[in-house]
Amino acid sequence: MEFRILSVAFLALILLFSSCTKEVKIDIPGYNEQLVVDGSIREGEPPIILLSKSQNIYAPTDISAYLGSFVGDAVVTVSDGTNTVALSKVCTDDLPPGTEAYAEALFGMSIQELQQLPSPLCVYTTFDPSMFGQVGKTYTLTIIYDGKTYTSITSIMAPVSLDYLKWKPEANSSSIGYLYSFMTDNPSTSDNFMWEMKKVGDPMFTKPFNPYFNDAFFNGLAFEFTIYNPMSFNDSSYAENERGFYKEGDTIVMRLSRMGKKEYNFFEKKINQVFSSGSPFATPVNVPSNIEGGALGVWVGYSTYLDTVICQP
Amino acid sequence: MPMKFKLFINLLVLVCGVFILQSTFAQGKHTISGYIASSSNGEALSSAKIYVPSLNKGAITNNYGFYSLTLPSGIYEVEFRFTGLNTIKKKVDLTRENVTLNVELGLKDGEKVYEEVVVSGKKGDNVNSAKLGQMELNIDQIKRLPAFMGEVDVIKTIQLLPGVSSVSEGGQGFYVRGGGPDQNLVLLDEGVVYNASHLFGFFSVFNSDAVRSVNLIKGGMPANYGGRLSSVLEVNMNEGNSKRFSVKGGLGVISSRLTLEGPLKKDRGSFIVSGRRTYIDVLAKAFISDTSPFAGSGYYFYDMNAKLNYKLGEKDRIFLSGYYGKDVFTFADREGGFSADMPWGNGIAALRWNHVFNAKIFMNVTSTFSDYKFKFGSKQDEFKIEFLSGIKDYGTKIDFSYYPNDKHRVKWGANYIYHVFTPSSVSAAQDTVVFNTGNAQQLFSHEEAIYLMDEFDLNDRLRINAGLRYTAFQHVGPFTRYVKGDISKPDTAIEYGKGDLIKFYHGLEPRLSFRYLTGEHSSIKGGYAYNYQFVHLTSLSAVSLPTDIWYPTTDIAKPQKGFQASLGYFQNFFSDKYEASVELYYKGMNNIVEFKEGALPGDNVNDNTDNLMVFGKGWAYGVELYFKKAVGKFTGWVGYTWAKTERKFPDLNNGEVFPAKYDRRHDLNLAATYMVNDHWTLSSTFIYATGNTLTLPTSWYVQDQNLLFNYGARNSTRMAPYHRLDFSATWYDKAYKTKTDPATGKEIEVKKRLRNNIAISVYNVYNRANPFFLYVDNDGDFLNGDFKLTVKQVSLFPIIPSITWNFEF
Repeated sequence: MEFRILSVAFLALILLFSSCTKEVKIDIPGYNEQLVVDGSIREGEPPIILLSKSQNIYAPTDISAYLGSFVGDAVVTVSDGTNTVALSKVCTDDLPPGTEAYAEALFGMSIQELQQLPSPLCVYTTFDPSMFGQVGKTYTLTIIYDGKTYTSITSIMAPVSLDYLKWKPEANSSSIGYLYSFMTDNPSTSDNFMWEMKKVGDPMFTKPFNPYFNDAFFNGLAFEFTIYNPMSFNDSSYAENERGFYKEGDTIVMRLSRMGKKEYNFFEKKINQVFSSGSPFATPVNVPSNIEGGALGVWVGYSTYLDTVICQP
Repeated sequence: MPMKFKLFINLLVLVCGVFILQSTFAQGKHTISGYIASSSNGEALSSAKIYVPSLNKGAITNNYGFYSLTLPSGIYEVEFRFTGLNTIKKKVDLTRENVTLNVELGLKDGEKVYEEVVVSGKKGDNVNSAKLGQMELNIDQIKRLPAFMGEVDVIKTIQLLPGVSSVSEGGQGFYVRGGGPDQNLVLLDEGVVYNASHLFGFFSVFNSDAVRSVNLIKGGMPANYGGRLSSVLEVNMNEGNSKRFSVKGGLGVISSRLTLEGPLKKDRGSFIVSGRRTYIDVLAKAFISDTSPFAGSGYYFYDMNAKLNYKLGEKDRIFLSGYYGKDVFTFADREGGFSADMPWGNGIAALRWNHVFNAKIFMNVTSTFSDYKFKFGSKQDEFKIEFLSGIKDYGTKIDFSYYPNDKHRVKWGANYIYHVFTPSSVSAAQDTVVFNTGNAQQLFSHEEAIYLMDEFDLNDRLRINAGLRYTAFQHVGPFTRYVKGDISKPDTAIEYGKGDLIKFYHGLEPRLSFRYLTGEHSSIKGGYAYNYQFVHLTSLSAVSLPTDIWYPTTDIAKPQKGFQASLGYFQNFFSDKYEASVELYYKGMNNIVEFKEGALPGDNVNDNTDNLMVFGKGWAYGVELYFKKAVGKFTGWVGYTWAKTERKFPDLNNGEVFPAKYDRRHDLNLAATYMVNDHWTLSSTFIYATGNTLTLPTSWYVQDQNLLFNYGARNSTRMAPYHRLDFSATWYDKAYKTKTDPATGKEIEVKKRLRNNIAISVYNVYNRANPFFLYVDNDGDFLNGDFKLTVKQVSLFPIIPSITWNFEF
């Protein structure tokens, strides 16, 4: 983390000195198209797999090129060691009732925008409850596409609970404040997490700037920590000085998802790349995929711990 | 004791014994010895010549101004020469006994020697010496070249020499013949400098007012140097004026400096104190108001050099040198509740004792202390984190020079360093909760070396410098070795107690170079050097930063080993006024270090940094052409290098060969100085270099609505070529005033005490936007149809004029 801060500080200094930034056309050799897997399975939920292809850095970036990068003609199966289920395609032009919010969150578009697309976007999933995620199970993903086979394995680990979640008003105001939580970390396990927040009633959770953390720094410790409000940055009902805070009276749900080390490694490096990309002070790092067969992306299993708090003193 | 070591010790004792016996019983010969110094300030003159025309024999002074020349019994006229100063001739009677003769060379009042402007004190050395790949620069010449922002810079000047390249625009790190920046042994008065730069590399730590000379050894390293694979950069500090008290200084655009020097006791001892400080922080304050969210942000550096020297007697001198410098960068973002401060710097001390045993044996003992520290502290609301890294060296060395006759120059000695490394120490806290960031890693080691070398003339044409160096290294406790398994927690940790030997490495380093005179003004030189290196510099960034970590050799990180073979042809023209050379080299390197792909600094929590490292090999080869005009009103040089530098790591780039990031096919440098008249000197430098390599993404993809990049082969993209022209014009006030000579009644010109000059420099004259780095920028949104990916080039410095006023009295 200190390196990221340093990078930003150095970058600020360099930009202070820098005389100009200009667009250049330079030969970047070595492009080869790769399958990109964005797959997850959560406790109590079906597996969802989105497939696309990586694009040349100089490839067109218009909407049709973007839509054209998605893959809809692969054969995808998930196995829990006992059962194997072939996933079916669910496309934006034929969404099952009640899945609109998931589709919006998955693709980052409103349902209206999704329905107006020139060609539908598809995910691979199943409605077979036997293949909904269960704690303790290991799931194998197999994708056959363009004559190649890609595989990956993930597990859903036991969830980790928080000791409490409470709201405290800021000293200067009675109506806004942070959430505070207390965690007692198990010293004998390696714990890797993703945290998200939502208001009760919201269909989907919101991720903060960096939702991923592990217990490398606090293994075996018990401590209280602050939780800022990630929803407030995209919500116009929050004034500038209210960003990051929770408002008194709101009911907030926190979701703490635990995942395996390899999967965490993907997200940690991904966040690092997102934050440091372009900085001369950072080493160019490819995000390490856990997909065998030469694909990019991740196949991740999440356990779920939910905690709800009403923001009141 | 290892067998190789025993054999070497026995050999050393035997050779020394033979030499001492020879010294004692050499009949019919006598020795003239002594020191040569400048008459104007008492500074020792290194590389001054002692020449006996009747025998066509000579010698040169060592770094301390000492010389020794053994001749058959007789009475000789001996010349004492130093380019740019008057030659003194003395009649010396060597019929009965050895003679000690200390000489001061200088200019008399009224004399001007403009034609003999010195580029190198070693006139003719280009052809005659057996030194291969060595270049000495005089500080006066460095001062005449254009200076970036007015700051005269030793390291930027050596980057103008063939075979030496800079890390990046304005960068201080330098690469010599394809070696990494950690493979250069940078010495300030024999103390090791671990970070030779200020302001993230834009300025060097060497204050030009405190520096006397700079010597770069880029190939054929003699046996008295070791510990690095690629080069030695020796920076020698001024000793201080032992004749009179004097002051010099300068006011520049971003910094000022002041130097005081004078006798401790006339002709017996002197001191020099020199300080420098930037005022970027003061200038920046004008742009950042107290109410600004960034109030409190700033940057400055300062450094101080000091040196004392004292003659205890005719045979003994002591020198105490010190350097302390610090950079401080602070950043504050009040609105974001974030603040950071980052100090880093070096402290170096060296105590030296010269002793002349007799006319033929000279000894130097040096004790050094070197301390480099980097600290980074930041605070975001209640969360605090502090990162500390550093290295401390306690060293002692002893060197003997023995001049048995005019054919042999023998050196032997020993060196010991105790290293304390703190590669990383992280502490973090949120309110009262202190996070477990692992133990502060400290590593302790001993490094030793002994060597023996002889430079001897087999005949009038062939001179050989043969040496052998035995080097050893012990990594000792206390130490915790984390042995990692597949999961994130260490499977086991092995604890070593204080002083426990964890790993021992040792080996022999043969060194050989020769010079064969093919004519009066031409020679062929060749050399081979094998080196061990026990310290590694590891970097997580694409450019050199103070965050780069020094790490010792351990049980996992093996010592770097390398060899270099070189061959060159050297030719002088027109009475040594012009010098030219062609040198070919090949360098091989093993056990060089990089971080694993994807390693992050936080990964070494409860782990050893070397568990994040990978090891590989590298090689470099090239040809260097050099042409220099050494004397006259117009002086300068042209250097061209064609080179290739590659790396191969089993764990990087899929095990395939990749170019080093500073692999440059072409490198052309020009430096020229023209003394127009007594008042004006014009100077210019030009650089053309193939663009550096870098790794850029070849493709992009989207995961969970985040745009991600997939990078191609390591260093597979090359930036646009770098070229730049700098120019400077320096105005000097009148150097002489007219005075009536009381002896003759004639008017003569004498040197003025108060001297001024104003140096105007223009950096990047034609405002070339040279690439500093490239990145892929993304802008817009897919859904809006304006999403765009572009490759952007960031350039650092546009045309920058600067002015500096220098004074001296």
